[in-house]
Amino acid sequence: MKCEWCRCWPEPRGAAVRGPPGKGFRCDEVGSMARGGVSDSDSLSDSDSDLSDSELQEAYSKGLLKPGLNVIEEAEKHYINNVMGLKQCFEDFKKNLNWVERLDVTNGPADDIIAKAEGRCLGQETSDIDPGDDFQREMCFYQQAQATALEALPRLHQQKIATKRPSDYFAEMAKSDQQMQKVREKMISKQTSLEKSEKAKQLRALRKYGKKVQVEVIQKRQKEKKAMMTAVKKYQKGLSDKLDFLDGDKTFLKANKESGGSVQQKKRINAKRKYKNEKFGFGGRKKSSKWNTRESHDDVSSFKAKIAHSKSNHFGKGGKKNANKRPGKRNRQKMKNRSRK
Amino acid sequence: MAAGSVSAGRWTNKERVLIFSSRGISYRTRHLMQDLRTLMPHAKPDTKMDRKDKLFVINEVCEMKNCNKCVYFEAKKKQDLYMWVSNVPQGPSAKFLVQNVHTLAELKMSGNCLKGSRPLLSFDLAFDREPHYRLLKELFIQTFSTPRYHPRSQPFIDHIFTFTIADQRIWFRNYQIIEEDGSLVEIGPRFVLSLVKIFQGSFGGATLYENPSYRSPNEQRRFLRMTTAARFKDKQVMKEVQQLQKGRELQTMPEDPTHDVFDTPVPEKVPRIELAPPDPPAPPRHRNRPFKRQRVRRRK
Repeated sequence: MKCEWCRCWPEPRGAAVRGPPGKGFRCDEVGSMARGGVSDSDSLSDSDSDLSDSELQEAYSKGLLKPGLNVIEEAEKHYINNVMGLKQCFEDFKKNLNWVERLDVTNGPADDIIAKAEGRCLGQETSDIDPGDDFQREMCFYQQAQATALEALPRLHQQKIATKRPSDYFAEMAKSDQQMQKVREKMISKQTSLEKSEKAKQLRALRKYGKKVQVEVIQKRQKEKKAMMTAVKKYQKGLSDKLDFLDGDKTFLKANKESGGSVQQKKRINAKRKYKNEKFGFGGRKKSSKWNTRESHDDVSSFKAKIAHSKSNHFGKGGKKNANKRPGKRNRQKMKNRSRK
Repeated sequence: MAAGSVSAGRWTNKERVLIFSSRGISYRTRHLMQDLRTLMPHAKPDTKMDRKDKLFVINEVCEMKNCNKCVYFEAKKKQDLYMWVSNVPQGPSAKFLVQNVHTLAELKMSGNCLKGSRPLLSFDLAFDREPHYRLLKELFIQTFSTPRYHPRSQPFIDHIFTFTIADQRIWFRNYQIIEEDGSLVEIGPRFVLSLVKIFQGSFGGATLYENPSYRSPNEQRRFLRMTTAARFKDKQVMKEVQQLQKGRELQTMPEDPTHDVFDTPVPEKVPRIELAPPDPPAPPRHRNRPFKRQRVRRRK
């Protein structure tokens, strides 16, 4: 009969069909669910079941039905397991070949060397594998294959059968060279991406540290500059006669704690300072010295035609990139008029 | 290529396997089939079989091609893949549901082997415990092992087929032997077989074994649909129950004698009967009363 829930046609499976008149038949999987959720009194299926009253009456009179509430029982499904048949078939079917022809080995997984070394208890059966745990499952298969290899290869060597391919033996492989190239490329790309991410992480960490160091260095420089400026001003105002602060670069710097990086910075400062000193001389008293004189104006030794005439921003201040790219107002209007016409 | 194999000995174990499929297979199945043909040099291909033909036609096809084993891939609904492995003239044969197919072309499988080299077959210990597994083991050995001195085989042995039983299924893997000390790399393909039935004859005959833990993919899909539908149906049932309860008559409570104990008597009002029509309403005193501004102006 048809299941009222899913409209399938499960077989009654041998049992005599019994059931209360008003209630529909439900197939086993759904019936158990439905029975749990819905109480008997709220049956939807007041529609006619396939058990008509007359049939039920007949069955009752025959003695198949008994009075009272009858519930449909599902007969147990018998799965065929014809052991004798299987054994017979096996005997008929098997071929008695040499092991060399068949090359089959039956074994459990190989002993894990690491586990043995640690003294952990082994004996992991394949029935213990949790098929959901991918890694464990694949390791189990791998170990089984390993055990086979370890058992079979010596046996083959005893029988003088070659297992290893010599390096000068070139023959067609199961996977083409193209395929192997793709595989290799994939592995390489994976590795490079991993390395890149590692490098990026390291760089990030370094940058953080570098930023800290940079801030410290800038602060130190500012402090030094301030000290220098006050000393210079003092001299200019005439409060002190000594020019010690000029030579005192070294004493000044030595007074502050020197770190390893400041040696380099000292050199750099000195070079720039040297150049400026050469150009403008020592400051001295501001009032008495001029630095925009006729001589300094007529001095064109520092003019380099190549740099002056070049239009690139490399030598200049590093001006705006877009300075020349946008045409001027007049040109823009011209273009607009042209396009409009 | 086959120099080492042919000259050294004669090919006596005449096994030929016919590997083909029905119509309606997906690309993955097709690639799997091609992979098996590549790995097994004693395999013969054939054109796709129409599914309208009965299965015993396959026996005739195999006879024509002079094959004594057959691996037949059957695709149903373009979703489910079944694999038949059969010893063709007399039987037995077995039907499996194939799942989790990964082919040779997958880039994660980095091993490689000689085309047509002989495999080592590795079976789980569980294959020796049950009679049906023993029969299956014999069937696999005869089908998958390459005969010695087969003209298309290579003389070296460099890969292993593993068959393991886990979760009541048979898992197939193919590993390449790199070193003699047992280091392996997977070549592929890989798939999982769930046994459906073992038949005594080839593609037919009496059923020798039926797998109780096998669930057909249709059943599984239906079960999933049922569980989602059952939730919805339960809600509907609850709604209908509520409807029924609404329609029921309200229960009448018995009369409560203490109901009007606290009622205080109210004097009855005498109804006033009007015999004459009522007076017309008085006209309003101020009609069109002007605004304040005007009122003030007027007052002035």
